[in-house]
Amino acid sequence: MKWRATFVAATAAILATGALAACSSSSGSSGSSGGKVTLTFQSLAFQKPTIAAVQKIVTDWNAAHPNIQVKYNQGSWDSVHDQLVTQFQGGTAPDIIHDEAADISGFAQQGYLADISKYLPADVRSSVPDGVWNTVSQGGKIYAVPTLLQSYVVMANTDLLKKDNIAVPQGTLSWDQLQAMAKQATTGGAYGLGWGLKSPTATVMSLSLNFGGKFFTGAGQDAKVQVGDAEKQVPERIHAMAYVDKSIDPATLTQSGTDVLPSFYAGKLAMVVEGNYAAQQITEEAPKTFNWTVLPPLTGTSSDQAADPQTLSVSQSSKHQKEAGEFLAYFMQANNLAAVGQGDWLIPTSKQARDAIQQQTGGKSGWTQTLAGADSQVAAPFQSAVNYPRWKDEIATPALQQYLQNKTSIDALATKLQSGWDNVNR
Amino acid sequence: MTAATGRPVRVRAEPRRTVRDARRLRSPGVRAGQYVVLALYLIFLAFPLVWLLSVSFKGPQELASIAPRLIPHHWEWRNYSDAFSQQGLLRSALNSTIVAAGSTVLTIVVATPTAYALARFRTRLRGAATAWILVSQLFPVILIVIPLFMILRDLHLLNSLGGLVLVYLVWTLPFALWMLRGYIAAVPPDLEQAAAVDGAGRLRILVSVVLPLLRPGLVATAMFAFISAWNEFFFALVLLRGDQTTLPLNLARFVGSEGQVSLGPLAAASVLATLPSLAVFAFLQRRLASGLLSGAVKG
Amino acid sequence: MTATVSDARPTQPHQDVRRRRSATRRSRDQRDAWLLVLPALVPVLVLSVFPLVRGIYLGFTDARAGLGITTHFTGLANYRELWHDSLFLDSFRIGLIWAVTVTVTQFALGLGLALLLNENLRLRWLARTLALVPWAMPPVIVAIMWRLLLSPTVGPVNQTLRSTHLSDTGINWLGDFNTALPAVIVIGVWVGMPQTTITLLAGMQNIAGDLYEAASVDGAGAFRRFWNVTLPQLRPVILAITSLDFIWNFNSFGLVYVLTAGGPGGKTMLPMLFSYNEAFRYGEFGYASAMGNVMVVLVLLLLGFYLRARLRSEP
Repeated sequence: MKWRATFVAATAAILATGALAACSSSSGSSGSSGGKVTLTFQSLAFQKPTIAAVQKIVTDWNAAHPNIQVKYNQGSWDSVHDQLVTQFQGGTAPDIIHDEAADISGFAQQGYLADISKYLPADVRSSVPDGVWNTVSQGGKIYAVPTLLQSYVVMANTDLLKKDNIAVPQGTLSWDQLQAMAKQATTGGAYGLGWGLKSPTATVMSLSLNFGGKFFTGAGQDAKVQVGDAEKQVPERIHAMAYVDKSIDPATLTQSGTDVLPSFYAGKLAMVVEGNYAAQQITEEAPKTFNWTVLPPLTGTSSDQAADPQTLSVSQSSKHQKEAGEFLAYFMQANNLAAVGQGDWLIPTSKQARDAIQQQTGGKSGWTQTLAGADSQVAAPFQSAVNYPRWKDEIATPALQQYLQNKTSIDALATKLQSGWDNVNR
Repeated sequence: MTAATGRPVRVRAEPRRTVRDARRLRSPGVRAGQYVVLALYLIFLAFPLVWLLSVSFKGPQELASIAPRLIPHHWEWRNYSDAFSQQGLLRSALNSTIVAAGSTVLTIVVATPTAYALARFRTRLRGAATAWILVSQLFPVILIVIPLFMILRDLHLLNSLGGLVLVYLVWTLPFALWMLRGYIAAVPPDLEQAAAVDGAGRLRILVSVVLPLLRPGLVATAMFAFISAWNEFFFALVLLRGDQTTLPLNLARFVGSEGQVSLGPLAAASVLATLPSLAVFAFLQRRLASGLLSGAVKG
Repeated sequence: MTATVSDARPTQPHQDVRRRRSATRRSRDQRDAWLLVLPALVPVLVLSVFPLVRGIYLGFTDARAGLGITTHFTGLANYRELWHDSLFLDSFRIGLIWAVTVTVTQFALGLGLALLLNENLRLRWLARTLALVPWAMPPVIVAIMWRLLLSPTVGPVNQTLRSTHLSDTGINWLGDFNTALPAVIVIGVWVGMPQTTITLLAGMQNIAGDLYEAASVDGAGAFRRFWNVTLPQLRPVILAITSLDFIWNFNSFGLVYVLTAGGPGGKTMLPMLFSYNEAFRYGEFGYASAMGNVMVVLVLLLLGFYLRARLRSEP
């Protein structure tokens, strides 16, 4: 009979483990005891100097506000989306959420983010251009503060350009200029341009604004995809450079942006198109003898690019939205934002913070050109189209990849994009 | 050699040649061929780890070179010190150890009697268990994460290592049961019946007759349970909060936005994460009985 | 709990006694079985069965993400939509190709490796441990390492191809339309070999020595011993591990997600990736669960055919 007792005991042991675990686990996200408020802040900062900058902001705030304590939690960019989906469903999201506009807009549409327009002081509102506020607003409500921007820039190997007698442009860089430079630089075993377009949609949608190519007309539920001449500019130019001029290394078209950099360092590519944050990587890993610069912003009929800022939001189910909003305003102070931006090599959204960085770095390592690109960041229609993520994954990305690998024509691409939108919105 | 039942062994007229003898007499050509094939297998399986080691000792410049070499030009020890100074790597390793060890022990302890019951007794449970095992392996785990999350939240088991251990136990059980049931079924019931006839109780039979023969199967199951818990990411991500992490979660922090990876420190941290598993395997694999069983099974 | 035996039948005492004894034993077996299972039952019901039932149920609703959204039962509406979803059907086809290829290759290579690891080779402990490297590496680093190994710029594979002049520029294994699925399959085989190998190896340990003796005494060489003794004895283990491998491979998600995210151009979009996108990127929990249900049913059907064919050929 002894073994039967053993099994009942085993069951009890397992249930006891569960009960013990339940008692010892912490419950609830924010608490308030006797007037003191605790906010959880999940930050995705990943570079060491950025983590240090953000933690300093938190420490300074906690020292100055004994009644509103912020608790710093480290998250990771890789997994934040899945985490938020689950936590929103279960009502356990952190009070202050760090994410980016493209990702957070879906959650805003689903109603999970608080409207913080009433908590933002006037100086924060005015320090950021309206075009950027539009990327974090829906229906007149603001659901995030935009903190840091990135832009696509052209970086060049100055030694190779000198060798090919190409002058480094000052002031502006037109697409035609880029094409000419790339063609001229394709000699001596090197390609003129490398472009990591493994994930082409974001780049194409953003840079098409250079030519006023909006892709989306109408708004909300009536949005439709229209691929006209303006929209065809960027894909056609890239295609021409790759397959007519043969100045883009076709291998790079299927690589990611970071994968392309080693060929850049090795002198196999005279220029590369990257997100401006690549400057940080180049500074860290390029050989000491490598000389490079950031070219002026790309310009078609304008230098507009789609703004996709990093964001800080407040969860709708947070019990202390006002206090969280105050912390956000503090985060946006010029010196705070400048410190975080420098750590991540990203462009602060507020002019004051940008000036602070210009001052602190003296414009070195391409900061001057990079910061200049901030003025032409605007909200694009595709960012507010419902069902855009699905269209991007299922239609746009495969179609663009096929076009860039020269497997379809530009008209077939246009048809796929347009009819694909209708399919997605059946 | 007498069997457990005490029946006399059949005597053969010819001299007995065991397979061990036959194997020892294997021709050197065949032997050499075996070593070569084994080497090829091991190169395929272990090369990524070798490269990982190499990467962990390289600095950023060398990692960005388009002419990679196996032996680093310049040995960079900083990756390891960087990895250690990353917030909480050691603590997350400790958490992972607790969770993995706990769920392995619990899985073996719980799965063995259950598998025995399912293999030996013809009950309605058997059909239900098979259905549950199949469906739980087939249905996409990512789709049940949210209902599971809600249950754990209501039971106040969120953000606790104990809750995670229970989740791992429950989600490793299907494989453990499926495999152990197969291994138990391969043990002939005559042995147990013989022991029962000799007067042994059910528990005694389990422990002294079935368990020893089950050892290889238990070892395989234990390895699987350990590694599932040690490497598991998704449940840990969703059920733990930022201040308590397991090793896989900590490793994910080396990957930034836009796919930038701090490759050197990540490689160093990953080496540190891989070695314990290999140590556990090296220890456990010895328990996989070497060679063949003697004729105790069929006398 | 004795069986009721009518005392009004004194003419057949022997059969009654036997019937009574077997009935007693059966009911005692029942009780023993339940007790043996008890420790597992409660956690399994709460943490596994219940979420599964809920997940399956969601496949018949219009559940979606959103604060305060109510869920309605919609019957078969999701399935009607799935039937017309060419992208889902495509992903199913890719999933089958992937799962069958990876499972068969894993089994063949794993069996070979298990046979070798069963031999009395020198440094066997080292070989057995190294064979488990894919298992030991955390999944996050596995994908990153393979991406690195196959990288067209900094990867050793392409470096070797270039230096041996097998290829001029190297191949972008994970980015090229033609090589993406094969490359991902090779990595899938690599990842899954340890569990197959160890399971088969453990099974081989259980094969009685004198079966081999008898065979070799009868003059059987190594191959015949393998074919006539090892394989048949391993049959239940083979069935178990190949069917599990197939299920796991079909449901594989994390590895391919990090390697290719389903690209390029959808060439490696496995059904689970598809379902993940539906649930986590577009918030369509109901539709995603419906996909899950369809996958369960179809794979069960496939497995049913496989197992029945194998079991029928058993003597």
